[in-house]
Amino acid sequence: MPRGRQSPDAAARAGGPALSGTDELTVSASGAEARRASEWLDAACRRLDVPPALVERLALCLHEVLANVIVHGGSAARVAPVTLVLEVNRGRNSSEASVTVSDAGAAFNPLAVPERRLPKTLGEASAGGLGLVMIRRCSDRLDYRYEDGRNHLTFGARWSVQ
Amino acid sequence: MSISYNDVGESLRRITISGRLDMPGTDAVASKLAELVTAPKKGVVVDLSALQFLASIGIRALITSAKTVQQRGGKMVLVVEGSSSVLMSLEATGVDQLVPVFRNTADAERAAIA
Repeated sequence: MPRGRQSPDAAARAGGPALSGTDELTVSASGAEARRASEWLDAACRRLDVPPALVERLALCLHEVLANVIVHGGSAARVAPVTLVLEVNRGRNSSEASVTVSDAGAAFNPLAVPERRLPKTLGEASAGGLGLVMIRRCSDRLDYRYEDGRNHLTFGARWSVQ
Repeated sequence: MSISYNDVGESLRRITISGRLDMPGTDAVASKLAELVTAPKKGVVVDLSALQFLASIGIRALITSAKTVQQRGGKMVLVVEGSSSVLMSLEATGVDQLVPVFRNTADAERAAIA
């Protein structure tokens, strides 16, 4: 499986428990590449000892963010590479794993989209807009900025250190 | 990615989907799922217990299918592993409140034809 640049911390290099680290991958905006991104995230998070339950949440967020880029990013998003950066930061009491997705598609700030009310009946349910609901509910932190012609969306999941 | 079905008597159809309902996975099975739920069965059980990943595009396919079954007077229910990320996807989007979710096939089949 292809891997991006890795930067494990000194403890991990010495064979001890990882404290923090980063990993990067570049993909193109397509469904097949979204699956490759998911495989990369899973492998990188395992290497950095991110709890499996959080990896599942991050994987869902990553898929939905990439799906938005593919569907709504326009031709610019499909031509330019999409960069993924995983960062794991461990603190004394809590730790966080976050992924930043950077794409050259049309500017889109998901934080500016009003939160939608969940439908109460099947008849009310609409087939669209579920991706953003999943991103919001599966992440503990969302940050967005538009810089140098690119969207930079970061989602993070935190866990307590015992 | 695979989708299969078997009919249990006159009134129940059991559909099993395994693999990943991400973008490529859903593209591969969505039309077959749509076709299978049009059968004139009272109940449809969609067994997702071997599914590894459920993205919003897959949830859309499930919602559309459940509506199709409901519109012809039937009922669609899901079977999901209790601790899976699939259940997390359904709960995060509130779809577990719209399409009944069961942990085992026997309970699901009873509910689908009740």
